[in-house]
Amino acid sequence: MAKTSKTESSSKKKKMKKSSKTGPKSKDMKLKPPKENPFEAIWSRRKFDILGKKRKGEQRRIGEARSSAIEKRKKTLLKEYEQSGKSSMFVDKRIGENDEGLGEFDKAIMRSQRERQMKLKKNKYNLSDEDEEDFDFGVSLGRDDFDEEVPFDEDEEDYARDDKSAILGQLNSHGSQNAQPGPVEAEENWKKSKKEVMEEVIQKSKFFKAQKAKDREENDELTEQLDKDFTSLVNSKALLSLTQPDKINALKALVNKNISVDNVKKDEVADAPRKGSIGKEKPDTYEMLVSEMAMDIRARPSNRTKTPEEIVQEEKERLELLEKERQKRMAAVDDESDEDGNASDDDSKLVRDPRTISGDDLGDDLEEAPRNKLGWIGEILRRKESELESEDAASTGDSDSEEDDGEDEGSDDGEEEGSGNGDDEGSDEYEEGKTQTIKDWEQSDDDIIDDAKKVMKIKDLKGVDVKGKEVGTVQTKKEKTTLKHPQSELPYTIEAPKTLEEFTSLIDNCSDDQVIEAIRRIRTFNAITVAAENKKKMQVFYGVLLQYFAVLANKKPLNFKLLNLLVKPLMEMSAATPYFAAICARQRLQRIRTQFCEDLKHTGKSSWPSLKTVFLLRLWSMIFPCSDFRHCVMTPAILLMCEYLMRCPIICGRDIAIASFLCSLLLSVTKQSQKFCPEAIVFLQTLLMAALDREQRFENLQLNNLMEIKELGPLLCIRSSNAEMGSLDFLELMDLPEDSQYFDSDNYRASILVTVLETLQGFVNVYKDLISFPEIFMPISKLLCKLSGENHIPGALREKIEDVSQLIDTKAQEHHMLRQPLKMRKKKPVPIRMLNPKFEENYVKGRDYDPDRERAEKKKLKKRIKEEAKGAARELRKDKDFLAKAKEREKALLAEEKAEKYGKALAFLQEQEHAFKSGQLGKGRKRRR
Amino acid sequence: MVRAYKVKGEKRKKKGENYDKEEIEEHLEEEPKVSEKRAKMEHTAADTEAAERVVDLLAGIPVVATDQTSKPGVIFIVERASLEIAKIGKTYQLLNSDEHSNFLKKNGRNPSDYRPDIAHQAMLSILDSRVNKAGRLKALYVKTEKGVLFEVKPHVRIPRTFKRFAGIMLQLLQKLSITAVGKREKLLRVIKNPVTQYLPIDCRKIGFSHSSEKLVDIQDYVNGVNNDTNLVFVVGAMAHGKIDKDYVEDYLSVSDYPLSAAYCISMITNAVERKWKIL
Repeated sequence: MAKTSKTESSSKKKKMKKSSKTGPKSKDMKLKPPKENPFEAIWSRRKFDILGKKRKGEQRRIGEARSSAIEKRKKTLLKEYEQSGKSSMFVDKRIGENDEGLGEFDKAIMRSQRERQMKLKKNKYNLSDEDEEDFDFGVSLGRDDFDEEVPFDEDEEDYARDDKSAILGQLNSHGSQNAQPGPVEAEENWKKSKKEVMEEVIQKSKFFKAQKAKDREENDELTEQLDKDFTSLVNSKALLSLTQPDKINALKALVNKNISVDNVKKDEVADAPRKGSIGKEKPDTYEMLVSEMAMDIRARPSNRTKTPEEIVQEEKERLELLEKERQKRMAAVDDESDEDGNASDDDSKLVRDPRTISGDDLGDDLEEAPRNKLGWIGEILRRKESELESEDAASTGDSDSEEDDGEDEGSDDGEEEGSGNGDDEGSDEYEEGKTQTIKDWEQSDDDIIDDAKKVMKIKDLKGVDVKGKEVGTVQTKKEKTTLKHPQSELPYTIEAPKTLEEFTSLIDNCSDDQVIEAIRRIRTFNAITVAAENKKKMQVFYGVLLQYFAVLANKKPLNFKLLNLLVKPLMEMSAATPYFAAICARQRLQRIRTQFCEDLKHTGKSSWPSLKTVFLLRLWSMIFPCSDFRHCVMTPAILLMCEYLMRCPIICGRDIAIASFLCSLLLSVTKQSQKFCPEAIVFLQTLLMAALDREQRFENLQLNNLMEIKELGPLLCIRSSNAEMGSLDFLELMDLPEDSQYFDSDNYRASILVTVLETLQGFVNVYKDLISFPEIFMPISKLLCKLSGENHIPGALREKIEDVSQLIDTKAQEHHMLRQPLKMRKKKPVPIRMLNPKFEENYVKGRDYDPDRERAEKKKLKKRIKEEAKGAARELRKDKDFLAKAKEREKALLAEEKAEKYGKALAFLQEQEHAFKSGQLGKGRKRRR
Repeated sequence: MVRAYKVKGEKRKKKGENYDKEEIEEHLEEEPKVSEKRAKMEHTAADTEAAERVVDLLAGIPVVATDQTSKPGVIFIVERASLEIAKIGKTYQLLNSDEHSNFLKKNGRNPSDYRPDIAHQAMLSILDSRVNKAGRLKALYVKTEKGVLFEVKPHVRIPRTFKRFAGIMLQLLQKLSITAVGKREKLLRVIKNPVTQYLPIDCRKIGFSHSSEKLVDIQDYVNGVNNDTNLVFVVGAMAHGKIDKDYVEDYLSVSDYPLSAAYCISMITNAVERKWKIL
C-alpha cells in the first residue's frame, strides 16, 4: 500500500509539474478516452483495396457507441421523463454548472472571476482619485461615459481636433496652444458636431484658394522667364542664321516692343502681344510670320485609282479626240495632217497605208523612206525564203514549219495570181458575194470550196492562230508594199454596223490588219461597260461578224489569215455576251442540220459538210467549253459531227479527207472530257478496213458481224510498194476537184492512213481509262495486225501500225489484269456495329454525372431527406425503447414495493388471525391463559 | 436499438449467368409493343417484302446458309493486366509506371510492374482484328493483377489514346460497369471470378507462354484444331513473369523470341482469320 501510494504521489507530482508547464494540456490528458477495447470494434472487409486511400469510417465501435447513446439518454430523456409528472422543478443556475466539460476547479475559478467583476461594477459609482482611474485600463469605458456627460470645455477640444488641417494650411490664427496631445486618439472616435464640420470645410476652401493663387504666381514667373530667354535668343546670332533677315528684323521689333511693355506694366506680360495688335491696328509681324509658316508646303493628294469603266471611258474619249483631229486634218492640208498623224499616233503608223506615205513623201521624213525601201526588198527576199521553206517543209514533214509554210504559200499565191491587183480581184468577188442575200451564202456550199487551202495536219487552230499573229507581225511591212491600190483611211470612231452590208462597205478596201483594227475600234468605241445601250449594238455586231466569218470561209480565194485573225475578236466578244453567242451558234447549227438532212435525201449529192461548216464547228469548239457534260452549243455540235460521220456515204477520196478531219476535230473536242463517241471509232475502223485487201476484209466482216460497218471499196488499199508518205494539206485537198487523179494515188492513201493512225492513237490515249477499252479497241488491233501483214505497206507506215497496235494491246492487257470475275450479290461484309462507352474525364465515385444539374441536385436532396428521416425514425425508436425500459423498471420497482407492502400486511393479519384462533389476544394473555 | 447485423432475408443466390436480367426484361417488355406498332404500320410493306424474297430465291441461284450463330468463335482472356487504381493526392488515378513511379516507390511497390499500356494495346489489337469485325469474337475477359475480372463486349470501341483508356478503366474499377453512350447496355462490367464459369463447354483453352517447351507454328496449330470447337486464348499482359492458370489445357510458345502481348495477339488473330478465311 505504501509503495503504491508513493508511486501515486510521485506521479501526481509529475502531473503537477507538467500542468504547471503547459496549462491547457492538462485538460486534454484528463479527457483522453480510455484505451480502445478491440473486442468492442467491428470492421467491414474491403473488396478492392485502393492504394493511398485512408481507412476512415470503416471501423465501428459498436458496444461503446451503444453505451454512450444510453448514457446520453439517461441524461436527457430520462430527466425529462422524471420531471414530466412534477409541477415544479429545481433549476441549478450556479456558474459553470451547465457546462459539463469543466471540472470543479475551473468552476471555482469562474465563480471567483465573476465575483471580482461584480465588485468592480460597484466601483462605477464610487468617487475616487483620477490617477487611479487613469492607470486602470480595465475600466476605461466607464470613464468615457463619465466624460461625455460633462462637456464643459468643448471649444478647446474642437481646436485640438482641427490641428491636422491647421498644420496643412498654417493659416489658423488661433493656433493650438490648448490642444492636448495625449487623448487625441480617443477623441478622434468622437462624433464631430456640426460646427466643427463647417469649420473644417471653411479651412479647406481657404487652403485651396491660397494654393491657386500660388500656382498663378508661379505661372506668371515662368512666362516672364520664357520671354526673357526668347529676347536673348533673338539678339544672339544663332537664330539669324536659321531664318530670313527680314523676319529677324520683325522678330527684333517684336521683342523690343515687348521689353518696353514690360517696363511699363510688369503684370500683363503674358497679354502683351494681343494688346499690341488690338491697340496699333497695323498688321503684326509675328502674326504674319505664323501665317507664312502655316502656308508652307504640304503634301498634296494624288489621283485616285481608276475603275475599269473609267479607263474604258478614257480610251473612248481618246479615240474621239483622235477622230476630231483627223477630221480637222482632212479639212486642212493633207501633208500636215499626215505628219501629225504619224507623229501623234503609234497605232496609225502600223495601220497607215504605206503607199500614201511614199506617194506624199517629200523626202523630209527620214524614218519612213528606208523602211519603205526595206519593204520592197523584203518582199523579194521573203518570196525566195518562203519557196525555200516550202521545199524544206515538204522534205522534213515538220508540222510547225509546215504551218508557216502554208501561211506563206497562201500569201505567195495571192501575190502570184493577183500580181499586184489580187486583192482587187478579191474585193470584186466580194462585191459579188455581197449581192447575195445573207442566207444565200449558206446554200452556196458546193461551189466555193475549190480555192480553199489549209494544213491537213491535225493541229489546233489556236496554235495556228498564234503562228498567224507572229507571221502577221512579220508580214505587216510586206503587205504594205503588196497592196497596190489606194486604201481608204479608217475612221477612229466607228459606230457598230447593223448589217453585213454596212460592215462590208466599211471594210471594203481594207487590208486584213485594218479589218482587225476596225473591229478593235468598234469594240472599244461601243464597249459594253461604257453605256448600257451598247450591249444591244454589240450583240448585233457580233452577229454581223459571225456572218462575215462564214462568208469569208465560203470565199473562193480563201483568206485563211484573216479568218485566223477574226477568231480572236470573236472569242473575246462571245465571252462578253455569252448568252447571245450561244443563241447565234444554236440557230446556225439548226440550219446546218436541216440542210444536212435535205442533202441526205438527194442521193448522189455529197452530203459531207462544206469548208465553212467545218470552220464554224472548229470556231465553236474554241469559243465554248468542250468539257462540259451538257452544253447548249457543244453537245449538238458534237452530235452533228458524229452524225456526219455515220450517215454520209464515202464516195471519193476527198470525202475521206473531210471525214478524217472531222475525226480529228472530235478528238480535240473529246480530249478533255473523255466523252466516248463511238461514231469516230467505228469510222476509223472502216477506214482501216478500206485499206485491206478484198478477201481479208471479208473475213473481218465475218468477225465483226455484230457491228454495223459501212462497206467500203478498197479505197485505201495500197497497190504499189513505192508509196510515199507525206503530210497532207487539208485546204489543198479541198481545192482539188472530186475526180482528181491524186485521190487515187498510193501516196495519198499512205498519207491518209498515217493521219488515221495518228487520230486513232489519240483516241486510244483518251479512252485508255474506259472500262470497256479492250472491247472497243481489240477488233481494231486485230485489223491493224492484218494491215501490217499487207504486201505493199511502206516500212515507216508498218512501224506506225505496229506501234499503235502494240499500244492498244498493252492498254487492253492492263484492263484485263484489273478485271475481276462477276460476283453474285456483290456486297462487302458488314462489320459489327461498334458502340462508344460513356465515361467521365475525372471520375469520382459518388458524384452524380447527370448532365441536368437541377435533377442531380434534387436527387441529392431527396437522398439526404431520406437519410435524415431514417435517422430520425431510428432515434425515435431507440428513445421509445429506452423509455419503455425505464417505465418497466419503474413499474417493477413499484410492483416490488407493492408486493412487499402486501406481504407485510398479510403477515400482520395472519399473525392476528393466529392469535385469535389460539385464544390468546396478546402474547402475554395467551400464556396467561 | 441498433439494427441487427445479420443480413435480413434470403441471400441472393447465384442464378447462372443471368446478370443482364434487367436488360432482358426490358427487351421482353419492349418487343411486343414494337411488333404491334409495326404490324399496323407495315402491313403492306410485309407483302412487298415477301414478294422480294421470292424474287431473291429464284431458281438456279444457290442459297447460302447465313446462320452465323452456329459458327465457332474465339474468346480471349487477358490475364494479369496491371490495372490498379490508387488515390494520389485527392484524385484517383490508374497507376502507371511513367507518372507514378515516386508514389509507387513510396508505397513499396515496383514501378516496372505497373504497365497498363500493355493491357491497352492488347485490348486494342483484339478488338481491331478482322475476327472481331466479322463477329467471330465471342467475348473478351480481362483479369487484373489484383484479381478483378471484367468482361469487355466485342462491340466496344475502346479509346485509342492512353489517357482516355486510363479514364475508362478508372471509372470501370470504381463503378464496376460502363454503359454505352445513349444506351443502357453495359459494355464493360466487372464480373465474378472464376472466368471458367463463363466459357462455353466445347472449347479449347490455349495459353501462351515463352517459357513453354512446346514451340509451334501458330498457323499449323490453329489449322489442326477441329473446326467446330471454340477457341479460348489466354494471353498475359504483364511486364514480367508468366501466366500460370490451371484451367488452361495447353501452353504454347509461338516464337523463339519473347513477344509483346499485342504482337502475339495479332499473330493469333491472323492465324484464325486465315483458317476461317476472313479477308
